[in-house]
Amino acid sequence: MSGPASGNGPVSLDDARWQEVLEATNGDAWPCYQCGTCTAVCPWGRVREEPLNVRKIIRAAQLGVEEDGGMLWLCTSCGACETRCPRGVPIVRVLRALRSLAWKKRQVPKGLPSVLWGLYQDGNPYRLPPSARSDWAKSLEVRRFQAGDEMLLYLGCTASYDRRMQKIARALVRLLREAGVSFGTLGDDEPCCGEAAMALGHAAYAAEIAEANARLFAAKKVRALVAISPHCYDMFLNHTPRLEAGFKTLHYTQVLAELLKAGRLSFKGSVPKRVAFHDPCYLGRRNGEYEAPREVLRHIPGVDLTELAECRENALCCGAGGGRMFLETPAAERFSRLRVRQAGEAGAQILAAACPFCIACLEDSANQIEAGPAVMDVAELALEALGAPAPAPGTAVQGGRQGG
Amino acid sequence: MTENSGGFHTIVCLKVVPRPEEVVVDPQTKTLDRAKARSLVNPPDLNALEMALELKEICGGSVSILSMGPPFFEPYLRLAMSLGADRAYLLSDRTFGGADTLATTYTLAKGIQKIGKWDLALCGEESSDGATAQVPPGLAEWLDAAQVTYAFQMAPADQGRMRVRREVKGGWEELMVSLPAVVSVKGNVNEPRFIDFDRRRWALNDSPVTVWSAADIGAQADLIGFPGSPTTVAGVRQVGGRERRKQFLEGTPEEIARELARLLKTQAGSR
Ligand SMILES: Cc1cc2nc3c(=O)[nH]c(=O)nc-3n(C[C@H](O)[C@H](O)[C@H](O)COP(=O)(O)OP(=O)(O)OC[C@H]3O[C@@H](n4cnc5c(N)ncnc54)[C@H](O)[C@@H]3O)c2cc1C
Ligand code: SF4
Ligand code: SF4
Repeated sequence: MSGPASGNGPVSLDDARWQEVLEATNGDAWPCYQCGTCTAVCPWGRVREEPLNVRKIIRAAQLGVEEDGGMLWLCTSCGACETRCPRGVPIVRVLRALRSLAWKKRQVPKGLPSVLWGLYQDGNPYRLPPSARSDWAKSLEVRRFQAGDEMLLYLGCTASYDRRMQKIARALVRLLREAGVSFGTLGDDEPCCGEAAMALGHAAYAAEIAEANARLFAAKKVRALVAISPHCYDMFLNHTPRLEAGFKTLHYTQVLAELLKAGRLSFKGSVPKRVAFHDPCYLGRRNGEYEAPREVLRHIPGVDLTELAECRENALCCGAGGGRMFLETPAAERFSRLRVRQAGEAGAQILAAACPFCIACLEDSANQIEAGPAVMDVAELALEALGAPAPAPGTAVQGGRQGG
Repeated sequence: MTENSGGFHTIVCLKVVPRPEEVVVDPQTKTLDRAKARSLVNPPDLNALEMALELKEICGGSVSILSMGPPFFEPYLRLAMSLGADRAYLLSDRTFGGADTLATTYTLAKGIQKIGKWDLALCGEESSDGATAQVPPGLAEWLDAAQVTYAFQMAPADQGRMRVRREVKGGWEELMVSLPAVVSVKGNVNEPRFIDFDRRRWALNDSPVTVWSAADIGAQADLIGFPGSPTTVAGVRQVGGRERRKQFLEGTPEEIARELARLLKTQAGSR
């Protein structure tokens, strides 16, 4: 029998568990020499009395013993620990592997099986009807993607269903039309990217979703896909197989930056505000994209771009990654609370982000403090900078802007 | 995992239903046109299955799935086996079509008798399409077994009985039930486990699904399908889904409250 490693008593080793952990983690935990840097930099230490003891979890993984107490499920996959680890341990991958073992033993927090059922039955983690997926676009007459289109606009579940995040989707549609990009969506047939399953550690299910998506994109002859959420972006970029000709994955800030550089899009209006950009972990640390969103903001006349105390590689996570979006976090323990304070310290009137999860967390925390910053998505700021009134529904389509 | 090899045996009655928001009613035939609707397992039936699997963890034995329906139900029965059920029986025959709850319960009861030894039959509290909640009690009558409806908790007790808690208005009651018994399970009383991926390949390809016709279960022709259904549907009307107005009020909380009160007074019931 293997005893838990959480107490101070002796730890008994269990060969079967060791084998299981070894197989799941693929030896990823071995290089760790227990320096504790990870535990020290993990943002949980700043909001909780008991930090997330990453070092101890990694040690338990090396020994193949149980180490839990629910700590495993705190990780937001922010990657702050990994960038500092002197031994290059892929910490998030280890934690996810341990989560995958927890799924096998059915030792997962309440509510998480329902999230996966949501993906399975409804194609979204929110358990909303799949037939309502493209309701957000009704007044915009966004058409279906056709082979030959410049890009597929991939909304993702949050921008499709969440009323607040639908604004980002609508802003993006107007911007792409303005730039004369030929694009379409998959309408109600748009599948979930599977990142929720991935982040919650259900690797087998995430892989199954990714394979189905790869087949769908190949059948639709998608050559380039633009994602709104960095979570979907990460899933399509790094965890979805490429079939036949493959497809290019872009985050929408990269597309906007490119369109601005090429002169296909220009800003006639202005946003005379001090703006700070919050780097979403899945865009920045995870995928190295720090410039594109700043590039877009720099193009906006009037924007006084400032930086938060912790930015780029050192950015503080909003708290919603790693499946934390689907778990409750007490208001006082939310990283986003610290983040909106940093925005205040930087004198930012607007805290900009480029991720629906970040927007949800930051806006919620900003609303809870006195004179918090306005939280806006980069796409929303870009829309404001267009200056011209939004085109009436359908006009862009008839005007041929959407033509292939 | 195949044959019913003794031990505590629970049968879970599982129905496959169309997604409610995708069903249209055919005004001519007064039947549901589910051709375009996607299907899913009736949600409370997954709660019943979860309860059965939790009981299996305590009592051992095995869990069977029973369903009456067309052949397209089969993948859903296999889904149930990927969660932990051991085998499934599908009662499928053209002559079962048009069954009301009387004929449905007769057919399911014949299926259970054909399966043989059983201790517990679990149903969902009601289906999301038919929504009569008559199947569990009807089943108990045909089988001459004890019945409990709207259960939310169940545990083995002494003398081979079960201790069952059921919801009643304003509280709950606890019953000692002798077996075999038919129990309907409240929706949302537990969180159904997710698919066990280690079981999945077996469930999809090799798990035992036995398909029985009316003749196989020895059903009497005048008690099944249309002939066995004294109920006739006199009328069906589709109630249009309520389209939300998506009106959002702006202003200070006081202004919003005042405007809301005004709107409620002037517009309530104006559709
Ligand atoms: C007046 C009336 C007329 C009808 N006429 C027709 C008709 O012409 N044609 C037609 O196709 N249908 C008809 N139906 C529907 C059909 O009779 C019911 O769907 C069926 O009897 C089950 O009843 P229910 O859905 O209300 O189940 P409930 O009693 O609400 O279901 C409770 C539980 O019983 C179990 N259960 C129910 N049905 C099944 C099943 N088939 N297999 C396994 N388990 C099950 C499930 O565990 C379920 O959760 C009619 C229903 C009514 C009320
Ligand atoms: S920072 Fe790296 S080496 Fe140091 S304890 Fe954490 S995982 Fe181990
Ligand atoms: S990824 Fe972020 S939340 Fe997870 S352990 Fe590392 S620092 Fe902590």
